[in-house]
Amino acid sequence: MAERKEAHFIIENQVEELAVLFDKIEELAETWQWSVPLTMNINLVLEEAVSNVIFYSFDDERKHEIIIYISIQENELTIVISDDGKPFDPTSAQLPDVELKTEDRPVGGLGIFLISKIMNSVSYTRKNKLNILTLTKTI
Amino acid sequence: MNLTNEKIGDFTVLHIEGRIDTTNFSQFESEINRLFDAGEMNIVFDCSGLHYISSSGLRVFLIAQKKTLPINGKLHLCKLQPAIKEIFDISGFSSIFKIFETQESALKS
Repeated sequence: MAERKEAHFIIENQVEELAVLFDKIEELAETWQWSVPLTMNINLVLEEAVSNVIFYSFDDERKHEIIIYISIQENELTIVISDDGKPFDPTSAQLPDVELKTEDRPVGGLGIFLISKIMNSVSYTRKNKLNILTLTKTI
Repeated sequence: MNLTNEKIGDFTVLHIEGRIDTTNFSQFESEINRLFDAGEMNIVFDCSGLHYISSSGLRVFLIAQKKTLPINGKLHLCKLQPAIKEIFDISGFSSIFKIFETQESALKS
C-alpha cells in the first residue's frame, strides 16, 4: 500500500495570505510531483474556498487562523479547511446557472461552483465551534 | 500579472501574462475600465501568457462583457492555454465569449 502523505499550512484571514498559500502549494506540488494542471486546479480550489472564509466567516477585526490540511492516500487527495469563524456553510450557496446568457448571468457564486466541478466531493460540518470543509478528489 | 496593449486596426490587443486571482484582479479590472473610458470598445485579450485564473478574474471578464453588449463592442479572447480553456468551459464562459485559436482570427471576426 502506498504511503500516506500529509501536509498542513496555517494562514491568517488576510487576502494577502493567499499569495503565501500559492507559494506553499507550488512547493508541495514539486515535492509530491503533481502535474501542472493538477497543481493549477488545487491552487484554484484552495483560493476559492479560503477566500470565501476570509471574506465571509469573520465579523470582528481580530486575526484568525485558517488551517489547511492536505493528504494523499493511494490515489485519493483530501483537503480539509478549518476556521473558527461564524457558522458558514459554502455548500448551501445556490449554484449559478451556467447556461444563462451574458445579460442574465449573476456575477457571483462561481467560486463554490468551480470547487464542486473540480473536486469529487465537497462536505461541510460544524464541530467544536469550527467550520470544517472537506474536499476530496481522485487523482 | 503583466498587462500590455497595442492597437491593431479597430481593436486594442491586451496581452495578459501571469495569473489573475483574488489578490490582483482589480489591476485587471482597472486596465479594462481605462480602455473603455478611452473609447476602446473592441478588445482582443491575448491569453497565451495567462496560466491561472480564478472566479475573481472570470467575474471581471463577465462584467466587461455586460458593459460592451449595450454599446455593440467586441470582446474576443484568443490563445487560451488548455487548462484555462477548461475553466472557461466548466463555468459556461466559453458560450458567453468568442474564443479564437489565433490572434489573427480574433482580429478578423
